[in-house]
Amino acid sequence: MTVVTVRQMVGAELLKLRRRRGIIALAAFFTVGIVLLYFGVRAIEHASNPAANGPAGGVRSLDHATVVLSVFFGSLAAILIGTEAGTSDLASGVFGDLVVTGRSRLALFAVRVPAALIVTLALALASLALSVAAAYGFADGMPTPSASFVINSVLWTCGAQALICVVAVGLGSFTGSRAISLTALIGWQVIASRLLPQISFLGHLRYAIPNIALGALKPGLTLPDANGLAPGVGVALAVIAVWALAWLAAGGWRTVSSDA
Amino acid sequence: MADHMILETHDLTKRFGDRVAVDRVSLAVPRGCAFGFLGHNGAGKTTTIRMLLGLTRADGGTMTLRGLPVPAARAQALARVGAIVEEPRFHTHLTGRENLRTVAAVRGPETFARIGGALARVGLTDRADERVARYSQGMRQRLGVARCLLADPELLILDEPTNGLDPAGILEFRQMIRALVAEGRTVFLSSHLLDEVEKACDAAAIIDGGRIVRAGAIAELTRSSHAELVLACDDPDRAIELLAQMPEVLHVQCAPEVLRIRLTDAALASRINRRLVLADIAVSRLEPVHDTLEQRFLEITSRLEAVA
Repeated sequence: MTVVTVRQMVGAELLKLRRRRGIIALAAFFTVGIVLLYFGVRAIEHASNPAANGPAGGVRSLDHATVVLSVFFGSLAAILIGTEAGTSDLASGVFGDLVVTGRSRLALFAVRVPAALIVTLALALASLALSVAAAYGFADGMPTPSASFVINSVLWTCGAQALICVVAVGLGSFTGSRAISLTALIGWQVIASRLLPQISFLGHLRYAIPNIALGALKPGLTLPDANGLAPGVGVALAVIAVWALAWLAAGGWRTVSSDA
Repeated sequence: MADHMILETHDLTKRFGDRVAVDRVSLAVPRGCAFGFLGHNGAGKTTTIRMLLGLTRADGGTMTLRGLPVPAARAQALARVGAIVEEPRFHTHLTGRENLRTVAAVRGPETFARIGGALARVGLTDRADERVARYSQGMRQRLGVARCLLADPELLILDEPTNGLDPAGILEFRQMIRALVAEGRTVFLSSHLLDEVEKACDAAAIIDGGRIVRAGAIAELTRSSHAELVLACDDPDRAIELLAQMPEVLHVQCAPEVLRIRLTDAALASRINRRLVLADIAVSRLEPVHDTLEQRFLEITSRLEAVA
């Protein structure tokens, strides 16, 4: 398979995603929209009562925004996009028509990943750009983030969204069902990921929760719901790699082995 | 032999649990013809096609497409094969042209140049930039053919392509099949519509209960196992008397305005004519009866059911 073919196949996956206007609009709301709301509401609060409400910008606000964009609303955007990329061909019944071109099934699966990542990270970067601008623009005397903090925050948020997106592509390809994948991932991210760290008898097993591993790598404040759990960097990176690779392997295996 | 055949299977078998869906199917489809693959619903047609295209694995047997072994050389074999399996499916949120672009991207860079021609060929140029969600069933079928044409196919495998089409659409589809064959392509047409296969195809195989029960040219398949003539004359009663005395006449049946005569051999028609004319009976019509494919199909499959 040539580079041109890979580029065109990724481009085709991007086209399928871009044309899903409802999903893209919702994902944009969960990222760009939420950032606008977060800083907008805080700016209004500060303007209306500066004594009770601190400035909307500053390093702390950027830190909060990265949390919102990674494990809260931003993760929902990554789930929507990753699941759509993973299930689109199967759910529409087109997968069989792609298989009969003779192209390897693994290639058909593999190109979904960069396409989903491009859309997810484009929205993440747009919302981060807004967040950074707001952190400086609305600082109003509060300490502003350093360049290294901005870079680390951008890298961490993009990394967190990329992980969730990759897991969603893998799970979507594994189940072939948009509904099952969305329910499972949103349930995991919104409920299970917050409850499990609170169950103390699970001990160090809780390090295997992606949000705990992501939290260990986060610049600035610790993640909420982490319950003091802080695996080492090596463990955190290993957990993230295992989650990403395991779901990619599951999705790839199912795509290659199942009847089309 | 292999070069002459564009599609071959030997003892192709597929099981679903204890049920044998395709039972040692051996097929040989020559290049440059329209080949019908006939069978009742559930006879094993689609499963056979799915194995050929790598959509499901075979449990036994061998296959070649374009002389290449499948699945060993699947990518190369399918590079110039277009297929519609069951109904053509699309991303309905994309336009017709965008759907073709997504397939062209998978097939390879050279395929993009064929999109315009393929759309024109199926008469969809004017509607190519509309979302497929707005397409009728007939338009989707045509877009499915356009998608097949992106491969510049030597072989088109069409599974029940006329499902859901109105009579005008069926006629148009049949003409398209013949035009594709005229270009030197091979069309493998799976259908349960016997009339459709008889009109569109040069040869056919009949599958029943997962097994090939007959294969050959349409003319061969429709040839009756016995010879039958239709006779019209000015004195049917005397003709019946005369014919009853002839040992080569097995049976004479009165039908409205004609007699149907079953013979031991169709070549005996001239002898019948001579005998009647010498007896001063004016013969106004004497012609052999050809079964339709439908009659032969029902005869073959009902015979098999009786044996079972």
